[in-house]
Amino acid sequence: MSKKYDAIIIGGGHNGLICAAYLAKAGRKVLVLEKRHVLGGAAVSEELYPGFTFSVASYVVSLFRPHIIRELELAKHGYEVIPMDCSFLPLPDGDSLARWADPHRSRKEIARFSKKDAEIYPEFSRIMTLMGKLAKAVIDHPAPDITSFNPKEIANLLRLGKAFKDLGPDLFHLNVKLVTMSALDFLDLWFESDVLKAPMSVSGIIGTFQGIRSPGTAYVLLHHYMGQLDGVFRSWGFSKGGTGGVSMACARAAMSYGAEIRTEAPVKQVIVKNGEATGVVLENGDELYAKQIISNLDPNRTYLKMVGEQHLDSEVLKEVKRYKLRGSSGKVNLALDSVPEFKCRPGDGDHIRGDIAIAPSTEYLEKAYDQAKYGEFSTRPYINAVIPTLTDPTLAPPGKHIMSCFVQYAPYHIKEGAENWPKYREAFGDAVVDTLAEYIPGLKDKIIFRQVLTPWDLEQTMGLTEGNIFQGELSLEQLLFQRPIAGYSGYKTSIHRLWMCGSGTHPGGGIMGASGELCAKTMLKSRAV
Amino acid sequence: MSKTYDILIIGGGHNGLTAAIVLAKKNKRVLVLEKRPVVGGLAAGEEFHPGYFTNGLLHDTSEVNLQVLRKLQLENFGLKWQSAAPTVALLSKQGECVKLSHDAEQTATEIARFSAKDAQAYREYISFLASIRPFIANLLTDFPPDLTAFGRRQLWTLLKKSLALRLLGKKKMLELLKVTPMCVADFLNEKFETGFIKAGIAAPALYGSFTGPWSSYTTLNLLMHECRSASNIVGGPQALINALTKAAENAGVEIRTNNAVQEILLDENHSVNGVRLSTDEVIQAPIVAASCTPQTTFFNLIQPAQLNYTLEHAVQHYRSRGTTAKLHLALNKPVAFNGVGGLEFYRTGNSFDEMERAFDPVKYGAFSEEPVLDIHVPTVSNTGLAPSGHSVLSVLIHFAPINLKGGWNEDSKKRLYDITIKTLEHYSPGISASIAGAELLTPADLEQRYGLTYGHIYHGEHAVDQLITRPFPACANYTTPFKGLYLCGSGSFPGGGITCMPGYLGAQTILKHC
Amino acid sequence: MKWKIWAGYYAVCSYETLHDAEYYAFRNSAGLLDVSPLFKYRVTGPDAAAFLSRIMVRNIEKLAVGRVAYCCWCDDHGKVIDDGTVMRRGEQEFFVTAADPAFSWFSRFLRGYRVELTDISDQVAGLALQGPTSRDILKQVCDADLDALKYFATCKTRVDNFEIYISRTGYTGDLGYELWVDNAHALKLWDAVMDAGRNYDIRPAGLDALDVTRVEAGLILKDVDYYNALHALIDDRKSSPYEISLGWTVDLDRGPFNGQAALKAEKQQGSKWAIVGLDINWPQLEELYYKRGLPPVLSLQAWRSSIPVYASKDKRKQVGYATSGTWSPILKKNIALATVQKQYDKIGTELQFEVTVEHVRHTVSAIVSKTQFYNPEHKTFTPKPSRS
Repeated sequence: MSKKYDAIIIGGGHNGLICAAYLAKAGRKVLVLEKRHVLGGAAVSEELYPGFTFSVASYVVSLFRPHIIRELELAKHGYEVIPMDCSFLPLPDGDSLARWADPHRSRKEIARFSKKDAEIYPEFSRIMTLMGKLAKAVIDHPAPDITSFNPKEIANLLRLGKAFKDLGPDLFHLNVKLVTMSALDFLDLWFESDVLKAPMSVSGIIGTFQGIRSPGTAYVLLHHYMGQLDGVFRSWGFSKGGTGGVSMACARAAMSYGAEIRTEAPVKQVIVKNGEATGVVLENGDELYAKQIISNLDPNRTYLKMVGEQHLDSEVLKEVKRYKLRGSSGKVNLALDSVPEFKCRPGDGDHIRGDIAIAPSTEYLEKAYDQAKYGEFSTRPYINAVIPTLTDPTLAPPGKHIMSCFVQYAPYHIKEGAENWPKYREAFGDAVVDTLAEYIPGLKDKIIFRQVLTPWDLEQTMGLTEGNIFQGELSLEQLLFQRPIAGYSGYKTSIHRLWMCGSGTHPGGGIMGASGELCAKTMLKSRAV
Repeated sequence: MSKTYDILIIGGGHNGLTAAIVLAKKNKRVLVLEKRPVVGGLAAGEEFHPGYFTNGLLHDTSEVNLQVLRKLQLENFGLKWQSAAPTVALLSKQGECVKLSHDAEQTATEIARFSAKDAQAYREYISFLASIRPFIANLLTDFPPDLTAFGRRQLWTLLKKSLALRLLGKKKMLELLKVTPMCVADFLNEKFETGFIKAGIAAPALYGSFTGPWSSYTTLNLLMHECRSASNIVGGPQALINALTKAAENAGVEIRTNNAVQEILLDENHSVNGVRLSTDEVIQAPIVAASCTPQTTFFNLIQPAQLNYTLEHAVQHYRSRGTTAKLHLALNKPVAFNGVGGLEFYRTGNSFDEMERAFDPVKYGAFSEEPVLDIHVPTVSNTGLAPSGHSVLSVLIHFAPINLKGGWNEDSKKRLYDITIKTLEHYSPGISASIAGAELLTPADLEQRYGLTYGHIYHGEHAVDQLITRPFPACANYTTPFKGLYLCGSGSFPGGGITCMPGYLGAQTILKHC
Repeated sequence: MKWKIWAGYYAVCSYETLHDAEYYAFRNSAGLLDVSPLFKYRVTGPDAAAFLSRIMVRNIEKLAVGRVAYCCWCDDHGKVIDDGTVMRRGEQEFFVTAADPAFSWFSRFLRGYRVELTDISDQVAGLALQGPTSRDILKQVCDADLDALKYFATCKTRVDNFEIYISRTGYTGDLGYELWVDNAHALKLWDAVMDAGRNYDIRPAGLDALDVTRVEAGLILKDVDYYNALHALIDDRKSSPYEISLGWTVDLDRGPFNGQAALKAEKQQGSKWAIVGLDINWPQLEELYYKRGLPPVLSLQAWRSSIPVYASKDKRKQVGYATSGTWSPILKKNIALATVQKQYDKIGTELQFEVTVEHVRHTVSAIVSKTQFYNPEHKTFTPKPSRS
């Protein structure tokens, strides 16, 4: 038996690292164990091809909680995010739509498609900003446990109730719509132009196995309006040095507070004795012990692989098995010989320095989903591409570029079964490149290197069950007190001394950092460590 | 006009008539104005082919609220009913059939022929429904919680409703909260394994909701249907209308058919004065209750300038995309499906994938290549609807969109007819040869004939945001921004189908105010 | 030259480093100002007047052909969205100006009206020719009967080979005209007016000079003196027409229009706020400066920051806030436009106005006065009114 820790964190994703940093900052002895040779989990930068540093999976930073940056002094440790100025939509007919941070510029662009929409666009963002206040009340606190009659939980519930009440009836009803309507129906309340609605609606489906017409998808639209209050329409940005930069800043912060971090230290299992977690066994057989074990892995992996069915009571097991992951997206990373230029708006101007959406119409998006519903990847998928080398040239040799493409839909469960994904990997990559080439003539000749990550690959390399990038679907029945399962939503699990701090816990999803932070704070508050 | 009225009711459908009776029994002078030559609206039977009658455009009477029937004492007017939903046969494409009856054990035995696991799952499903039924049924038969303001009174009712939920017990409550946002496919896949049984059980969740089985929140629709589907009117919808008409006349209600309202008259304070008919006749009354669709009420019957922007926007964006067509067939012999005859209700669907594929085209303005059918054979219990030995088929076709690309015309109608017959032929070989007459009503036809906006059979989609504050917050709880104007149709809580609830609760609201 | 962004366009603040000369041009001769960034709409059709009446607080059906109405429009709750002018160019043709984009708002009310609403913001340029000599200048470039054109009247005429509309309106509170022209001819029109004005001391003028004149004239400015109700994030930022000195434009007793019910109720119950003019006590201000050994120095520019206004008895009780103000060179007064609680809006009421002298805050007295500080006779004088 080696030295004893206050807490061992399984998985060095950004949430695990943040959790470690908070605990270490509070003076606890913490060990982080990462399976891979790099830290960051899905928020990782890797040099996949000589001279090219890729944000392999997660590629933009949007909702990272600002107070975490302050509290962990992440700026000092290298956290640097360059805001994205533009959202660009090339269209097959040679036209295009660029939405800018500058409202006047956006108005003029949108007015080419609909004058009404151009005027309503800022109005929409104002209303969403107001609603974002509510969302902030939700994501910056642990979810209330509605089953509990504990005064603390009731107070928490009342706090949330008050946030709702403060919205006033009009916004309350809009909020009901937001939570229950489809992204497209919700946008229909404001806009008429399909060219505008298509790229806006995709915000509602990223990472989910839903279409833009599926009820319940409108809610995620709100995420884009939560970070900002100053009228800038979105708060997305590139992390300097790739998204791994965020994770590395978190890791350096954690280490500066005294946390210990080991890479290439895969955990085989959590040691459970008499219903209590006491330590972990590594793949190499080493056993490490700690007062508390924290899993940064998804709920499925945590309960079923790390703990094992034999330690779970039947109700918990049933709920864990019910937890829906169903990955729906893949990633294609390209190293390019020169700047990819769009037929409809050539040049390397500001329009391609933000995110680029291949989402030419709502019908295109819905048809991409229809195909996926029946177990095929979309042959003409929704693509969200970024060229981070235009804003951060250090990522590639001079003049060379990286194009990072998030691709949806690529369902984990293809007809032939997920394990057959490798057979379709290149066909999937080809579909993505073919789709892009329709907008970027000569793209194929510029490609020096291509990495295709199917949901199967995301599962194999990053340990994301079923390739779900949010560690579980962000559908209403898996949010708040039900994330990951009702009764065990407060970062606790059904096993004593075992906690969870990943995206599979409230508030979940994206490079937000809130799960890791709230887990650590909950533990410290309850004097578990 | 010498005669004066307290209340005018626009539309003589089952909701309009229910409201009229409730009000007349409280000594209000009530006049019902029906545009069509017959009362009954979607519940009215019609002769669609010489000698052949339908028993109502909608044919499911299982959701009728029996308490309301009793309160209206309809048994005194010849109405008979059973307190259990009628047996429904679920059809598979492979020629199989399972009969769902109100006897759970018998049904489980039926299901066991296909899967022992499903039989057990069905028992559990039924007991889950039984445990939540009091809560849900209560929710759907009481006034909806008032969400339009956050005063102490509103919060108190809301608290009471949540407490009722909490009183289900922790496990039941969590389960209910867990499943309601789910899609019906996930919900039933967790329980059952046999495709056509799952699909058949799920089907009612999709009617009138612009969703497929993979769409979130469809479980809520299913639970709502299951929890209130507990009656069977003898003689079907038309019998209900007959009894309602008699009860109304008995209570002193005046009913005028062929009287189309042209405009609801408002004074300078936005209060109701009466109505003007298409004949330019003006009838004055301080209260008007509209059982027509919300869009008809606000966009067709009220001057545009009277609508403030909030209302204008709400009406404009009230979702009621019609996706249902109706086929009436006159057959010269009895009919059976998958070899099973003598039943009144059949459902097709076969599997979630196939149902989803049936829904897909609607999103792009096309109709299903293989529609999901909700079949009723009224002549089984009501032989008088067709010549002796003949039968009538009443088929609700899902899905056919109102906004068909290229528009509804003879060609597209013919195509939909052919597709539907082909689907029927699969389950009932030889049926086409026995067709003596047919009538196909597209959503466009439904709009035309019944004044259903966008041909939506439920006066608006059943969706969460269009349920409690149905049709929209500005007009929730049966009231409108115009003093004296009330809503009492399917566009109000708890929504469409033959339930009599909107009419009943709408009338109660009026009584509270006068 | 000084520039700023106006509705997505670069607009001139002043052509020199100081706007002084441009101000005096407006007041003594004539200034020519480009107001093209204003939003402009054409409304035509048999129901055009009814349609606009339903949107505007003013009854546009009463507006005679050839007349212009200044008015505002409200949301459902009677809160002001924007203000602008409506010109009736024909029985069924109107021209509307707005400070904010209004196309989507107006088009929300089209249902049921036989009208065509067109956004012509990008097609029509606007030039404001303002100042005492503006009539004489304009007479040189067109043959419209300007001597008969009354205040708030409009007419169509020709300049060279193109058509323009003239309206006797403006934002300076002086004699002045606004010229509306297809943007293809805008430069030609500018040159024609500048050429004709040479003998009348015309000057191109910018927004800085305009700002001083509009405060003197007591004309409010959206986003400065009030907020667009559709843009306001909180209800407290919204104002009714009564609260921003536009109560006179509201015509309550007629067919339904946006905000009618709320405005009727407010009319009955009274408003909470009012916009007033403040005549700020100069000797007191001077004394504060002298006490610190300074001569009183005020900026020549109009200001638009929010400054607290207190009750005169209890100097700690804030009763309002001034939203814009200026040193008026023509009145030789320090003036401001302020939003104050209704009970303090009587003319002659003494209030306290906050001033900061050498980093220290003080108050000086300010007397509530009419918002229209400067209102010369020639603004509304029409030489030959009988012929109109």
